[in-house]
Amino acid sequence: MYSYKTGIEQIDQLFGGFEAGTNILILAPPMSYADQLAYALTKPVTGEYAITLSTNERAAEVVDFFKVAGSDKRFIGVIDAITKSSTPSIVDTPRLRFVSSPTDLTGIGIKFSNMIEAIFEGDFSDGEAGLFPPPIRFCVNSVSTLLMYRKLEVLYQFLHVLTAKLKKIEGVGIYILNSESFDEKTLSLIKQLMNCVIEIKIEQDGSYLRIMGIRGINPVWQKFSVTKGQVTILL
Amino acid sequence: MIPSGISGINDMLGEGIPKGSRVVYSMEPGVNGQLFMISTLASALLKKLSCLVVLPFTTVDSFRRDAMTTRSGSIKFTSKKLTFIDAIDRERIQKSTNSTDMAQKEWKAKISKICRDKNVEVIFVYLDLLSEEFGIERALKIFEPEKDDPKRTLIFEYLNLEGDAQLDRFIHDFSFDVVISIKSSFPPLAPFDYFTIAHTSWSPKPARSVPFIISEGRIVPYIPRIVVTGPAKAGKSTFITTASDDGISVDRFGLDQDSTTVAMDFGLLEWKGFFITIYGTPGQPRFDLMIPGMFTHAMGVILMVDATKPESLARAKEMKSLVKERNMPMIIVANKGDLPDRMSEADIRRGLGIRKDIPVVFISAKEKAEVRHLLESFVDSITQFPY
Repeated sequence: MYSYKTGIEQIDQLFGGFEAGTNILILAPPMSYADQLAYALTKPVTGEYAITLSTNERAAEVVDFFKVAGSDKRFIGVIDAITKSSTPSIVDTPRLRFVSSPTDLTGIGIKFSNMIEAIFEGDFSDGEAGLFPPPIRFCVNSVSTLLMYRKLEVLYQFLHVLTAKLKKIEGVGIYILNSESFDEKTLSLIKQLMNCVIEIKIEQDGSYLRIMGIRGINPVWQKFSVTKGQVTILL
Repeated sequence: MIPSGISGINDMLGEGIPKGSRVVYSMEPGVNGQLFMISTLASALLKKLSCLVVLPFTTVDSFRRDAMTTRSGSIKFTSKKLTFIDAIDRERIQKSTNSTDMAQKEWKAKISKICRDKNVEVIFVYLDLLSEEFGIERALKIFEPEKDDPKRTLIFEYLNLEGDAQLDRFIHDFSFDVVISIKSSFPPLAPFDYFTIAHTSWSPKPARSVPFIISEGRIVPYIPRIVVTGPAKAGKSTFITTASDDGISVDRFGLDQDSTTVAMDFGLLEWKGFFITIYGTPGQPRFDLMIPGMFTHAMGVILMVDATKPESLARAKEMKSLVKERNMPMIIVANKGDLPDRMSEADIRRGLGIRKDIPVVFISAKEKAEVRHLLESFVDSITQFPY
């Protein structure tokens, strides 16, 4: 089975990366650079593809992050749920697709399926071929924003479908959720959909993460930083 | 009747959507089914019906642009008979009310007023957000006519996250007249969208599922594979050639200079709103191993026999046994049915050992009208087959 490199030594050395079909929740307080960590985990290595559902940043900003991190933009897709509300005339391209707002789960679901189909059919990367079957990393930035627009029960059902589809195509999913804005019930329900949780906390001397749900990895807090899409665990 | 705007569906519904009925397009997440609602809207506008579109998830401008792109521009958005309630109206209602009861009343009052002022005949509703806000039952009540109001046609699009249980509720709890479920397969399987007419209130016909493709901004029901099988020289290649707009046959000539199919025949036709592909199997026993594979993804089988050759029935019966494990519609076609020395229907039924509900049809495979008529009946039986 395919393994997705994470750039986190602890995971890559022990297991070769995240196992295909893994869904990972990044549980983080505001301003903890959770999106940087999520994008670093989403960054595709050669032969892989990445799709980001962005409810916070415009597609161009998301693509910029990956370009700075050294990724080939032909393997990066973005479903942008914010630009269309201010620019209704914006049109879809194979790698950039737009939905009217984060409330539009119908549109998000369709654009997600369309992109996956385009990747499988080889219509995604301007003729450049990745691996086949295509390894796909999918990032939702963020579940917190979706929860502001939709009820928990509805979003749970929707994410249930998305996570199941990712498992089916042996992709990997990375989801960001603000740990301070939601009650225990919400956190617990969203965690149920995941195989792994990466918690982030901020201390005076920097950001720490701990990885839970992967057998063999001790969930201890470790200081980390993210630079140009590369995660570094600081000893 | 209001045409659904989707070729094939009108025939399956019996001419279209009856005025005053309630219809739901239930979409599973990710399926490319938005064109169903938009096609019906385009069709209603073309018939110059007065329409109200309720789209709480987006603005009118965004919706128009999306719909024009999806439908390749062929939609009359300039019609004066078209009114919208959009996300901005929803926000206004949310801000001006402080309970869901009040909000529901406000929605109902707004819709009633528009319906009366504009003489609205058809209301198109994107139900997703309203059902989340009020619960599905109360959301549906918003669109019930007031006393003395005429009964309007209601068309809903619903993102179905609950699956078949929700379809049952639409049919049994909410008494919808038409329930159409739109689903898809998902990679790594080949992408494969299909719709199922799960219920019509005026007909007890069983649920029927039909795949579709989107071609030039329209939904085209698609029957991916009808397989024609039967003994050698029964007329399968002739049948496929006669039926098809385009096709090929992989033949080899024998010593008697007659050709015989050694791989398969393939034909393609677009007809009565359906795209249909027809595959013909070889008839000789040495090719039997490859036949079961050709039945994969087939939606129907035509077993063809030469009506003038009773001795070929034993071989046809063998080939029927290759089909019988599959749950799909089958029809027996007796070629050369126009010749005087043909067998009777009873002879063929006895020779093949088939049930009474499997039709036996006599044709000449060279006659286009007969072949097309046969396919028409067969497509009907495929679309009504309870898979």
